[in-house]
Amino acid sequence: MSVEQRSVTRFELLMDAGTGAQKAGDILLAAFVAMGKYIYVEPMIPAEISPPARSRAALSGVIIRLADFDITNIGNDTDLILASHEIVLDRRLEDNEYNNKCVVLLDMGDKESNPDSYEQVLKRCTKEGVSVIPFQMDDVSKAILKDLAGKGQNLFYLGMLSYIYNMDEEIVKAEIQNTFGKKLKPEIMEKNLTLYHNGYHLAKEKIFFRIQVESRPREGEKILIDGNSSLSMGLIDAGFKLFSGYPITPASSIMHTLAKEFPSYGGLVHQAEDEIAAIGTAIGAYFGGVPSVTCTSGPGLSLKQEFIGYSQMAEIPLVLIDVQRGGPSTGMPTKTEQSDLHAVIFGSHGDYTKIVISVCNVIDCFYAPHLARYLAEKLRLPVFIMSDFQTANSYKVISKPQVVQMDNVEDIPDFILERFHMNRLPKEIEMVRTVQSNPGVEGGMRRVSGLNTDNQGKVSYTSLTSQRSHEIRNEKVHHVNRALTKPEMFGTESGDLLLVGWGSTRGALEEAVHLCEKENLKVAGMNLRIVYPLPLMLKDVFAKYKKVMTVEVAYGDELKPSPLAMLLRAHTLVDIKPLIAQATGRPIRPRIVLKRIKEVLSQ
Amino acid sequence: MSTQTIDPSKTPLAVKDLNTENPRWCAGCGDFGIIMGLKRFIVERQLQPAQTVNVSGIGCSSRAPFYFNTYGVHSIHGRPITVALGLALARPDLNLFVHAGDGDALSIGGNHLIHGINKNFKCVFMMYDNEIYALTKNQTSPTTRKDHWTNTQPQGSFLNPMNPISIAIGLGASFVASTADWIPDHLTNTIKTAFDHPGFAFVHISQRCPHFDPSNFDHKSSSWFSFLKHPNGIEPDRRLAANTEVLEHDPSDIAKAFQYAAADRRYFGLFYQNKNKPRYDEVLHNLVKNAKPKDRAKILDGFII
Repeated sequence: MSVEQRSVTRFELLMDAGTGAQKAGDILLAAFVAMGKYIYVEPMIPAEISPPARSRAALSGVIIRLADFDITNIGNDTDLILASHEIVLDRRLEDNEYNNKCVVLLDMGDKESNPDSYEQVLKRCTKEGVSVIPFQMDDVSKAILKDLAGKGQNLFYLGMLSYIYNMDEEIVKAEIQNTFGKKLKPEIMEKNLTLYHNGYHLAKEKIFFRIQVESRPREGEKILIDGNSSLSMGLIDAGFKLFSGYPITPASSIMHTLAKEFPSYGGLVHQAEDEIAAIGTAIGAYFGGVPSVTCTSGPGLSLKQEFIGYSQMAEIPLVLIDVQRGGPSTGMPTKTEQSDLHAVIFGSHGDYTKIVISVCNVIDCFYAPHLARYLAEKLRLPVFIMSDFQTANSYKVISKPQVVQMDNVEDIPDFILERFHMNRLPKEIEMVRTVQSNPGVEGGMRRVSGLNTDNQGKVSYTSLTSQRSHEIRNEKVHHVNRALTKPEMFGTESGDLLLVGWGSTRGALEEAVHLCEKENLKVAGMNLRIVYPLPLMLKDVFAKYKKVMTVEVAYGDELKPSPLAMLLRAHTLVDIKPLIAQATGRPIRPRIVLKRIKEVLSQ
Repeated sequence: MSTQTIDPSKTPLAVKDLNTENPRWCAGCGDFGIIMGLKRFIVERQLQPAQTVNVSGIGCSSRAPFYFNTYGVHSIHGRPITVALGLALARPDLNLFVHAGDGDALSIGGNHLIHGINKNFKCVFMMYDNEIYALTKNQTSPTTRKDHWTNTQPQGSFLNPMNPISIAIGLGASFVASTADWIPDHLTNTIKTAFDHPGFAFVHISQRCPHFDPSNFDHKSSSWFSFLKHPNGIEPDRRLAANTEVLEHDPSDIAKAFQYAAADRRYFGLFYQNKNKPRYDEVLHNLVKNAKPKDRAKILDGFII
């Protein structure tokens, strides 16, 4: 029996939806964290609730990247897969995210009734160089499982993984108690713990290796949080008082969190009858002077567009969170993509004057609401917070962010502005309408409209007032142009290649650039926190590199620049193409970035 | 809604204080009568203009907020109810009037009417029903009478009109009244009763469009409509009551309300009222009121490991 020491490793648990893979993931996550390890977790969730068991559509799983150092992304490829049957394994092999040393622990329980199917998948594994360790649950466990109406398989697998990853059994059991303790009757809990125990011992007897990742003592107060929870808490800390949304994957969990938490902080959660109503109510509340936010994903963004234009014209502040998913149309609700960029910047008819903030990790998720509210109220324009499925659902251990308790937007701390690479805006910013009072202010009575108006708010169709309104709205955006400082960069100050990304690609990009540094490649990376408008010095920064390319989870090809590439081309007139523009629904992997970098540099 | 009225030491609010500019409506448009009716009510009740918000959608009648020296939101087509709900949730201290045409209320914004009625949040919802799309120049609306000529259905409008009052009662509205732009006292009394209703007060207003449909609504005769009257209802118009049928109708009688709503004859008055229907805005506000307050400084403590 060998114990292999690893600095970083990645494994997956693959099961049918509804059989507890996500719960097992939560327990593993909590236990690893309790042991002082760094983790990055990505759930694989079907868009449907319970697709037929033993079907490809049923795949529900969790990918865990485990390290003894702080990690920023889900990593490259998988070292170990535990699959509950051959179909989910076959489905997942298709994504081609395993390495050549990958080991598969395959539950053979279903083989008897599906011999051909097993044979076929095992052949595929041999062909693709994946070694399979078959196993079967012991009879005692099978009997317990039958007793529990099939529920508890995840605990058995959890036991196996606990042994393989050299986990402290007591810590894992404590986490099982934490997760299920209140929901399960003691005798049911006992059976679940027996399953866990039996899984652990099966692995001990049948699996001939263990993987050990060192634990490191943590310094300072740490929290474990996912992107959407962090955004929710950030909204409360930023002083929002009304959330208005319509359920949509993968944004809904923000509404779930706030529905529980918001009332205790004086906030209202409104579940609207549709996406349009949700944004209308946020706009109405903000007109009343109450900081309000609406939240959506792909299809909802399309539906909200008319009101987004209205917010610009009527000069009513608006904060909108877009948790992106695969598109177009209904697309892939539980897969990640960054292709809403143009719909957000240019969406809604007529001229576009908006601010687009992106979040690339859970800390940004916490502070983006503060900045969004600051910009929305200062400029009285729509401000977007762009997240995506990956950022929304990935858990991370971080130092506890400083809580701000913002009430007045002018009190936004410098460190938040710096975090998003911008300076404070001028105190006075010109509006189309001179008076911008909230209802209740005596003598400030005013009417707002989506029609063009003069500076008194009177409807006007003259050439002068129309041109003036456009200039003033755009000048608001230019204030941000000018306030933006040099974006975050990693790697060399000048060199052969600069890679530009935004949002969730940051972690993979940063790691790829570090890999380049180790190989002495003159490559740098840039992450844009504010994607629209863009900073003015961008062209000068680009000039220091022979080539500038983007890394995006969005489609692009030879004839069609990917969204960010197109935006940067238009802004800088630099011939920018994507290094990676993938619409696979899967996160970018650092080593694939490195491989592509080498290809490009050798051309 | 605000109970605050004008400081008695100040000059009382007069209709002229509520005027802004000359409305951009055609001569003889029924909208003039409707906004005058609302202004008369605001003056009568001495509501503070700064505490009053008119919210509208798009259409001829939805320009109304511009012509009140109060706060106003001229929003987008079909969606005034959504904006008004935002104000009702964020600012329960305000007096809220929603102005919507037949297109706004029953066509593009039909979904929001369903849910506004269901949520029963506090506002006066005024449906200006001229039975035509006028601002876009003479197209069939959901309430256009069958066979009436329009630009989109020049063969004559194809379908029987939808019945806003039946729809509102059927959706479970807690307050359904009907009036018309040319009976000023009745109009003002209707708005008054609606304003005092604790919930979403649906007020249907028959409105003339002399430009596109001058033959609709014979406002010079009164034999084609009746008034519904009750001590808990709305007083029939003094000027016209003598010349037409006045019926006693108890506004708590929903079966009778349906009957009058579905009849070919037009009835003005209070069809239905239920003061006990739960209000969504109150439910949400109570949620905050009754929640155990938490310290914002400790917001992330639940995530500490």
